[in-house]
Amino acid sequence: MTEPLLRIRDLRVWFPVGAALFGKPAQLRAVDGVDFDLQAGEALGIVGESGCGKSTLARAILRLVPSTAGKIVWMGQSIEAYSTRQVRPLRRDLQIVFQDPLASLDPRMTVGEIVAEPLRVHAPELSKAERRERVADILRRVGLSPDVINRYPHEFSGGQCQRIGIARAMVLRPKLLVCDEPVSALDVSIQAQIVNLLQDLKRDFGMSILFVSHNLAVVRKLCERVLVLYLGKPMELAPTEMLYSDPRHPYTRGLLAAVPIPDPAVQPSRLGTALGGELPSPLEMAPTFDEVSAQHQVACWRWQEK
Amino acid sequence: MSAVLSIRDLAVRFATPDGEVPAVNAFSLDLAAGECVGIVGESGAGKSQSFLAVMGLLAGNASVSGSARLGETELLGNDRNALNAVRGSKLAMIFQDPMTSLTPHLRVVDQIGESLMRHRGFTKAQARSRALELLRLVQVTDAERRLDQYPHELSGGMRQRVMIAIALACDPDVLIADEPTTALDVTIQAQILALLAQLKRERGMSMVLVTHDLGVVAGIADRVVVMYGGRIVEHGSVKDILVSPQHPYTRALLASMPRIDEVGNAPLQAIGGQPPNPRRLPTGCAFHPRCALATERCAAEAPLLSVASGRGVACHFPIRGGEHD
Repeated sequence: MTEPLLRIRDLRVWFPVGAALFGKPAQLRAVDGVDFDLQAGEALGIVGESGCGKSTLARAILRLVPSTAGKIVWMGQSIEAYSTRQVRPLRRDLQIVFQDPLASLDPRMTVGEIVAEPLRVHAPELSKAERRERVADILRRVGLSPDVINRYPHEFSGGQCQRIGIARAMVLRPKLLVCDEPVSALDVSIQAQIVNLLQDLKRDFGMSILFVSHNLAVVRKLCERVLVLYLGKPMELAPTEMLYSDPRHPYTRGLLAAVPIPDPAVQPSRLGTALGGELPSPLEMAPTFDEVSAQHQVACWRWQEK
Repeated sequence: MSAVLSIRDLAVRFATPDGEVPAVNAFSLDLAAGECVGIVGESGAGKSQSFLAVMGLLAGNASVSGSARLGETELLGNDRNALNAVRGSKLAMIFQDPMTSLTPHLRVVDQIGESLMRHRGFTKAQARSRALELLRLVQVTDAERRLDQYPHELSGGMRQRVMIAIALACDPDVLIADEPTTALDVTIQAQILALLAQLKRERGMSMVLVTHDLGVVAGIADRVVVMYGGRIVEHGSVKDILVSPQHPYTRALLASMPRIDEVGNAPLQAIGGQPPNPRRLPTGCAFHPRCALATERCAAEAPLLSVASGRGVACHFPIRGGEHD
């Protein structure tokens, strides 16, 4: 196998919390021992409930939060200890789209300035005309008219703002696009537009995607593999169809069973089959990853029992 | 069948500096005893505003017309005292965000007990023991300890259960649930929906479930009303609406939703454009700019809601006959 684009090994992100004066702070283990490889052109879904560490994991990979331990290997270089200055040139290839489409755009910049900013920073050699050309190109590519460059974010709807955010991330043609809940804030009919857009961009530009989401149906559409997180720990990692048709971890099963299906013949009997109880806090030791098959890993003592 | 809640020609308008904005138009609904009706639509469809109007909870710049009767009581335009006699006792509402709709500085027991003491004349001790029963009914773990906690000490799912307990305190005839699970994680959503289904089954409570998620209504609603641009575009039994929708919007909305049980990565059938802004509703049918079947007539003439055999559709060219595939 070729060297993966991104290799994550035993990544941990702990936050000190609740330190009493002179006391030792407790450690909140937001991400606690995650391993995976991401191949060029692959889309990996990272799913789980609030507090499972999915966003923290994505941000740690982009070095937006410091990691506590473990390795982040980006195209063969270990970047987990890089300084901000060392990371900066890598950002050309590592871009992110955020959940809240309006809040992630600077309200005082025009759309043209917003989308051109990454070029200004990472491709200063471009002339003004070339820059304008690249901006117009990518705006067209995400389904916006290049005429919008002189308008401000507040003039756009949520779906259009998300397109602007995607244009900003894609204008440098990054090798990895991290999407942190990119459709969660959008109306149902708009979600489908954005999912389709990401699918098209991936096909045309061939970038890898880390798709962080709590929406398991969207992940099934977009991703080739899925990593299920619970309390910062990986529960199951498998190719998408394998995970959805044959989930081995009871948590994955519970999560899938909880998603409502818009079919009155099926859905009423699904009510009440999902997991009980509340989400606990990240405390106890969990079982480690076991191999079901070469591509399918699960962390459960009892995965062999059907 | 007599309706416990009967809404006729409800219209809600908001006065704004830029002129009057229509939020809801010609909304009518009969809710039968023991029935759950799902109200589905995207943002700005008017689904929440319709029921805030029924509860008398609209913002100060709103004007309301039409009628909403709960049994013998007219709710619209009635004075505050008359409404307060009904709200919390016969008609209760739960909201989307359980953090902002609980009072942060009151203990759980006081929030549940308030309506019991006000409407049922309970003493403090009686209210406390009833509050404990209610917390157990809504499956709050460790109920005794929770009574004396404040909302910030509870998780999101727990807060939503407390809000349901408050709503159930006086055994209301009608429960209005406005996006009760939207702010919750999917496993907690499933628990809350199972609880609502159980309450409906065991107590015969009538329920209105406002949601944007067609999957949520599939599990619990008997009938579904689909709204778009402030109007009802289609209504019918949950099976009619989800299996053989006749309005192009309902059909497109269903097709645009990725399903957890669907294999493959074929592109979703997205609806182009975006939901209309109530300030600038399109002429004719509000959906026509996004509709694949629209003609000149759709742009010129607003379709009326025509009702036949228990279902209604507001479209000049409803999709009939061919089964939904």
